[in-house]
Amino acid sequence: MENILKIINTVLNNRDKLRISEISKSSHLRNDCGLDSLDLAELTVRIESEYDVDIFENGIVETVGDIMNKINE
Amino acid sequence: MSDFFLIDSVKDIIVKYDELFADLSNIKNYNKYCKSDSYYTIFKHILISIIIGEEIVLLDHDFSTNEIDKLLGKNASLSEEKLIKNFDVINFKNIQEKIKVNNKSWKITLFTSGTTGLPKKISHTFDSLTRFIKIDETRKGNVWGFAYNPSHMAGLQVFFQAFLNQNTIVRLFGVERIALLNLINDYSVTNISSTPTFYRMLLPSDHICNKVMSLTSGGEKFDSKTLGNLKEMFPNSKIRNVYASTEAGALFSSKGDIFTIKSELSHSIKFIKNELYIHHTLLGASDGLTLLDGWYKTGDIVEVINNIPLKFKFLSRKNEMINTGGYKVNPSEVEEVIRELKGVTDAFVFGKKNSLLGSLVLCEVTVSDKSLNEKQIRTFLKDRLQEFKVPRIIKFVESISTTRTGKILRKK
Repeated sequence: MENILKIINTVLNNRDKLRISEISKSSHLRNDCGLDSLDLAELTVRIESEYDVDIFENGIVETVGDIMNKINE
Repeated sequence: MSDFFLIDSVKDIIVKYDELFADLSNIKNYNKYCKSDSYYTIFKHILISIIIGEEIVLLDHDFSTNEIDKLLGKNASLSEEKLIKNFDVINFKNIQEKIKVNNKSWKITLFTSGTTGLPKKISHTFDSLTRFIKIDETRKGNVWGFAYNPSHMAGLQVFFQAFLNQNTIVRLFGVERIALLNLINDYSVTNISSTPTFYRMLLPSDHICNKVMSLTSGGEKFDSKTLGNLKEMFPNSKIRNVYASTEAGALFSSKGDIFTIKSELSHSIKFIKNELYIHHTLLGASDGLTLLDGWYKTGDIVEVINNIPLKFKFLSRKNEMINTGGYKVNPSEVEEVIRELKGVTDAFVFGKKNSLLGSLVLCEVTVSDKSLNEKQIRTFLKDRLQEFKVPRIIKFVESISTTRTGKILRKK
């Protein structure tokens, strides 16, 4: 979870958006974290490079919990 | 003419012309396939093939068995040799005579370094290979810095340009930067032909190479920052660009980035939607090329500056455009901007397949200023490029990935 928060903040920081201090499984990536499509695309690549999983490969990922499920599959 | 034929510091070989001719005279067997990592072996093999008027097939030394099976078919016998009939002791003059006699029967076959799929097979005759080679007295003293793979088109053209004028060839390909700059100065290299990537790797311009008179650049587009640095580094050199491809050989050269087409070639090229088409009469023979009514679609996008005489400049390779969320990004354009940032030595922009956007624009950079970070580069780019063009991930690397020819590898 902490690592995902770090990756999300890297993406936000790159676009000069406000960092977030905490996330939970139910945090919504667009609504709560403020990520748009470009950000999400970047997020997938950063997660893929660390976990070797393309989180958007099969269907929609909306929350932090969805990401964790994909990584742990 | 020069006494020396080849200086290859990588293989620790120095060969004089009379030694070359003596070695050629002693060759007894011929194999039409040439696969070697030794420049000297490759050059000798090419010359012998001309002398006996037989086809030569050049294979990259790092082709795997699997690749060769796909290229040549499983039944090709790479080791099959035949005895060569006796010939006179070889000297430069009788090689010239053999070229005249055999230039119709001789052909050289090579494989392009396509970035997708298998390399294409192309065959050239002596004439199509050497169309732009100039031989005259003023070139007798030239010393060529050889900065290409010798089994590829550009390398062959440098080889023939140097050999036919009996110039010395100094190998620069595969040599580390400082050693390479020392070779250029120690052997008084006068001419270098290479890719922009090669030239960028020579920078920063902390060494001055006074003896170099001519720098030729081919391959991907040259940017103005690199050009400026090269002028400092090679103060006495003319810098020109050549448009060449394995399919066509060298076709046009430019001053700066504007290409002017000679009138005798102007009927053999045309543009459709700003894409360059070349008439098949200018190409080498290949079954792998798709022609439309006799025209070859190059995939190169140009901007026509003037109609008579025809002048244009290259904008990009069509298939290099990265499609990210419906936006088209020209990687050359982004690379050029990144290289303008102080502390950046080179950049490579490419598309990575992405399930959300189709492709995502990514980038590798090499830096001389180790304190640069991703955020600083991004901030610099944000003011200079539309946001969708700014690479989403910037990776700091020791060296930029290049293809077998030294061109930047576009697909990842």
